[in-house]
Amino acid sequence: MMEDKFDIRIVSDEKRIFAFVGDFGSGKTEMAINFALMRRASGKDVAIADLDVVNLYFRSREHTNYLRERGINVILPPQKYRNADVPIITPTVMGSISDHNTDLILDIGGEENGIAVLGYLSEYLIKEAYEILFVINGRRPFTRKVEDIVSLYDRLVRKARGVKINSLVNNTNLMDETTGEIVKEGEELLEDVSSALSIPIAFNSISEGVNLDGVSLKYPIFRIKRFNTVK
Amino acid sequence: MAEKVLVKGNEALGEAAIRGGCRYYFGYPITPQSELTEYMSRRLPEVGGVFLQAESEVSVVNMLYGASCVGVRVMTSTSSPGFSLMQEGVSYMAGAELPAVFINVVRGGPGLGDIQPAQGDYLQATKGGGHGDYRLIVLGPSTIQEAIELVMLAFDLADKYRTPVEVLADGMIGQMMEPVEFPEMRSLNTLPEKPWSLTGAKGRKPNKITSFDLDPYKLEEMNLRYEATRKRIIANEQRWEERNVKGADILVAAYGTVGRIMKTVMELAKEEGINVGLFRPITLWPFPYERLEELSKKVNTVLTVEMSGGQMLEDVKLAVKDNAATPFYGRMGGVVPTPEEILEQIEKIIKGSESA
Repeated sequence: MMEDKFDIRIVSDEKRIFAFVGDFGSGKTEMAINFALMRRASGKDVAIADLDVVNLYFRSREHTNYLRERGINVILPPQKYRNADVPIITPTVMGSISDHNTDLILDIGGEENGIAVLGYLSEYLIKEAYEILFVINGRRPFTRKVEDIVSLYDRLVRKARGVKINSLVNNTNLMDETTGEIVKEGEELLEDVSSALSIPIAFNSISEGVNLDGVSLKYPIFRIKRFNTVK
Repeated sequence: MAEKVLVKGNEALGEAAIRGGCRYYFGYPITPQSELTEYMSRRLPEVGGVFLQAESEVSVVNMLYGASCVGVRVMTSTSSPGFSLMQEGVSYMAGAELPAVFINVVRGGPGLGDIQPAQGDYLQATKGGGHGDYRLIVLGPSTIQEAIELVMLAFDLADKYRTPVEVLADGMIGQMMEPVEFPEMRSLNTLPEKPWSLTGAKGRKPNKITSFDLDPYKLEEMNLRYEATRKRIIANEQRWEERNVKGADILVAAYGTVGRIMKTVMELAKEEGINVGLFRPITLWPFPYERLEELSKKVNTVLTVEMSGGQMLEDVKLAVKDNAATPFYGRMGGVVPTPEEILEQIEKIIKGSESA
């Protein structure tokens, strides 16, 4: 799942809490799940908290068993509220934020309403070594242009209450129809975003099976497995 | 064609409406279609359109009535309980022969139900959810790309026949994502003329739009006109998809999300040596009775699979008559059947008929 080229800065022991933010459908849940699996594979104790208060379907809570079988602690709203259309932030997540023995991956909802959860947790988060990654799919309708992504960034930051967005993730994809060229196109878009926002690009996230022959990418590659598929 | 983008069904339904010439959207949020309302609030101002959030679904449908009277393309979207609230207005619009597009992103019911995908609103959609003698044209997309095509078609059919049209989606179609291509934006100058609309009577006789006449003979005349329109729609607008029907061991009738799942079921069945054919109605009204009747003569069984207690099943039985057995398999309450469990049903039927 992980390639050698994976950026050591992200997997370094200095950072312990990771959250993925971005637009609706940019791939945050996929990223959170894969990231949790990757950290677990490197031998760490890992917890993943489903804090998606925006989406209804395709949330990390749907993959609870898969993650638990792999030794990952899944922090969820109480069972009876799992399908409720109400925003719930489980109080246990505050405890996990200050539990220095465990890596914590936060799966949060899209746009400014999603990131408001981080704002709510900011007083706990800012004391810790965290990394907030801004996930961008350049083939989503509202994140195709630099100015749209910059404007989304501004809206996100406003709701984050002092929690910093540290890096960018290129998750440009068309699901099963993704090609190396599409990934490259996204990387180029993110380079412009990176210079506009002065935020570094952390890595390219690319599904297993996407052929990268003949495509030269400048940034590290994180191979991911897609979980939210519909048969 | 433009480049492909990755979109959520709800966003695609909204963008398709705009590309099809819709500039007026009135709505009230309800899960699982709220992204569509939100999308329209974001996109319509960019194209010089009007988005208005009403105070309830009852207001929404009356806003549609008004906008349609002046001849513009107008749409709303809602989910099951919200569409129930609109039914009085839908009946009024059918009676007044007013074109409009309604999108119902169906969720589990009855009553408040839940927010998961379901197909329990088929009868409401196809047999008339409101009062009086009327039918809506009902279109059932099974992929997001098809949803785009059908929303654009819905506007054309609505204008052509002067009738409200319903796009019957479900929570799965609304929430899932697929790569799609959008057609070019339709120029508003190419939309059909509506000489019947209320645009100011300067220099011409006033138009009147109503679903009302105190004189029963005159009201019957109006009803006969609606019926004539219905006959034209039945004759011209039946649409369906059939796959692998030639030499099939069993035919499955399914629409929308289940129609999509069936494609996986067919692949799994093939590995087991079972040849499954699929009949997927795209127009749920008018239902393609004749074609299904013809196909049913070549098989022993037409299995209907729905995310309901068996609603389209009634139309399947009307079509199949005594030509084949018509068993049913359904899940309710927002449960989506897996390809494996549908295959299990098919295997049971095949085994049963072999041992008989």
